[in-house]
Amino acid sequence: MTTVAAALVIARKDLRLYFRDRTGVALGFLLPIVLVAAMGFVSHLMAGGESGSAFSRATLWVADGDGSDASREFVAALREAKTIAVRPRPDEKPAEGAALRRRIADGDLHHALLIEEGFGAAIGRGELPPLRMLRDPDRALEEQLISIGLMHATFAALGPDFAAPLTTRALELAGLPPEWRERTLALARGFSRGVEALFREREEREGAGRGKVGAEAAAAGSDGAGAPSFDQMFTQIVPVTREDFRPPERPRQLTFMLAQTVSGMSVMMLMFGLVACATLLLREREGGTLPRLLLAPGARSAILWGKFLFTAVIGLLQLVVLFGFGASVFHVDVLRDPVTFAAVTLSVLATCTAFGMLIGAWARTTKQAEGLSTLVILVMAAVGGAWFPLQMLELATPVKVIMGCTLTHWAVSAYQALFWKGKDLADPELLTAIGVLWGFALAASALARRLFERRYVGS
Amino acid sequence: MPTATALPTAPPLLAVEELVCSYGARRAVDGASFGIRRGEIFGLLGPNGAGKTTTLCCLAGLRRGFEGRITIDGRPFAPARSGSDRARLGSVPQELALYAELTARENLRFFGRMSGLDGAVLDAAVARGLALAGLADRADDRVESFSGGMKRRLNLAAGDLHEPDLLLLDEPTAGVDPQSRNHVFEALEGLRRDGRTLLYTTHYMEEAERLCDRLAILDAGRIVAQGTREEIAQGAGMPGADLEQVFLRLTGRRLRDEP
Repeated sequence: MTTVAAALVIARKDLRLYFRDRTGVALGFLLPIVLVAAMGFVSHLMAGGESGSAFSRATLWVADGDGSDASREFVAALREAKTIAVRPRPDEKPAEGAALRRRIADGDLHHALLIEEGFGAAIGRGELPPLRMLRDPDRALEEQLISIGLMHATFAALGPDFAAPLTTRALELAGLPPEWRERTLALARGFSRGVEALFREREEREGAGRGKVGAEAAAAGSDGAGAPSFDQMFTQIVPVTREDFRPPERPRQLTFMLAQTVSGMSVMMLMFGLVACATLLLREREGGTLPRLLLAPGARSAILWGKFLFTAVIGLLQLVVLFGFGASVFHVDVLRDPVTFAAVTLSVLATCTAFGMLIGAWARTTKQAEGLSTLVILVMAAVGGAWFPLQMLELATPVKVIMGCTLTHWAVSAYQALFWKGKDLADPELLTAIGVLWGFALAASALARRLFERRYVGS
Repeated sequence: MPTATALPTAPPLLAVEELVCSYGARRAVDGASFGIRRGEIFGLLGPNGAGKTTTLCCLAGLRRGFEGRITIDGRPFAPARSGSDRARLGSVPQELALYAELTARENLRFFGRMSGLDGAVLDAAVARGLALAGLADRADDRVESFSGGMKRRLNLAAGDLHEPDLLLLDEPTAGVDPQSRNHVFEALEGLRRDGRTLLYTTHYMEEAERLCDRLAILDAGRIVAQGTREEIAQGAGMPGADLEQVFLRLTGRRLRDEP
């Protein structure tokens, strides 16, 4: 037999073996499809979703302190912006600036725009209108979305000065009344001055050779870290005075994204432990030791719980290493509240381990267990927000429901409540997350035990 | 063949009545009844697929949904539900039930603990197990470095650590060399001398002749004969014939394949 012929025979045999485990094969093919779908779904959300839908919008609370026609038009334009979900909605009670300020200071809200008195008059004079943003400065990603939306709304409502002649002609062709034309031109000139100011500031900075922050830039909320990039320049063109609020209980750490990354990646890596966990029972069966274990006088479910404990201990060690790394390198203060940290970690551990046991009890072959584990881990990580902070977006209800069905969502939420918001066990949000996690853990454990009894104990 | 006259009318330690166990529509065990007396080695013989392993699984509580009645010392025996019933059983499965990455001693200690042993009792049981397996000098070597015969001997020792009332042995010498097989036989004969009760399945007639006090021959799930070797031979109309001839007479010469 030639080498080629022998290789063909071996390949044929391996193909036959591979396709014999049909469930394993199905999972193997399903994995990339579901993964691509999940990734596409998440990317879709992050990119803005369907036009006109409620996907991927950062929430911006707005208080109209001017109450002019111009300010109302501006608010209407904000509602049309695709990256902002404006609150209160038209059917809700209008917000007041003082109340928003309080809620921002309390950490309940992250961004609020105050349209101050004189907005309409300023537009009438051709000046830049007064806008004030109350914000949580550590929510940079939402800030970007809001800035983009603000720019779109401003252009839509007011129009850029540099486009004044074109705009005027277009408006005339459209039959716009002359009084609107004049107002639009005035606004466009105001914007033009804003753009010029930005360019001047940039030139001054580059000329000075150091990060000097001009008065206008400070008013526009620049962090003074250097000249704005091209995209930042356009998102900052809307002149907004920013007021920063950082809740006093927030732990010392860098950014929301950093806390999110440490939490999300730690949870995901913990879940990868499921792969090993899910194959533990199968290894006992395939290794021939299961019948002897089943004959032991102790409760037979002890076999399942023994695997549960083993996986939990390994998972705990993994979390200690991961969070230790996060604490030492990224300065996430994991031990600020050791009791809450321990409670959240035990809840996450129990849930992840229970899911691993469920997969292990369900699978009939190692291929099935590995395929399903990988599928569950990656899909939950993507959809549950372990990769991207989907929690910060204003999502449609069905999407929120899907997220709520993933243990990663609740695990990351619990860690975020602890690390980011500085909450403790008295906080309802944190308690809810812990409660849901234990609900998952108990349900998965009960199902795993049932499957174990059926598939392992008495076949 | 040991003399069965030493155990004339002893009441059975374990009694099986009308055991029926099916895989789907196929009956793997079809109304089997037999009794095992205290202190004897009871052989369950049969061709491949006769239902020997299934019978052992039913006895050990590893299968559910079977019909029939199993009693031990006259009481219902339900190891699937009762830990104290399981404690009366030991098992030497056909497959090697050992952890290759652990040493012989670690394996025995683990299975001893699982059987409820601890402290000095466990230490003594492990030492006895190592001696039974003839592996006292290799106690701290990993099982993965052992030969097939060494693993088989350790497999036997692991099943007997807690000195169960009834030790179930499912073809415990499959695939071992004559030296190791002889060692296993001597170990089992030693257990019988100690008054232990063993249920031994095999399709090797010479093993049954050497070890078993009484036998049951199982074919297609049914007990076709049981008693001492002489009783079975006489029942088959072949007095004085060796067990293999009797076995072939009773079970036929048709090839038997596992399901």
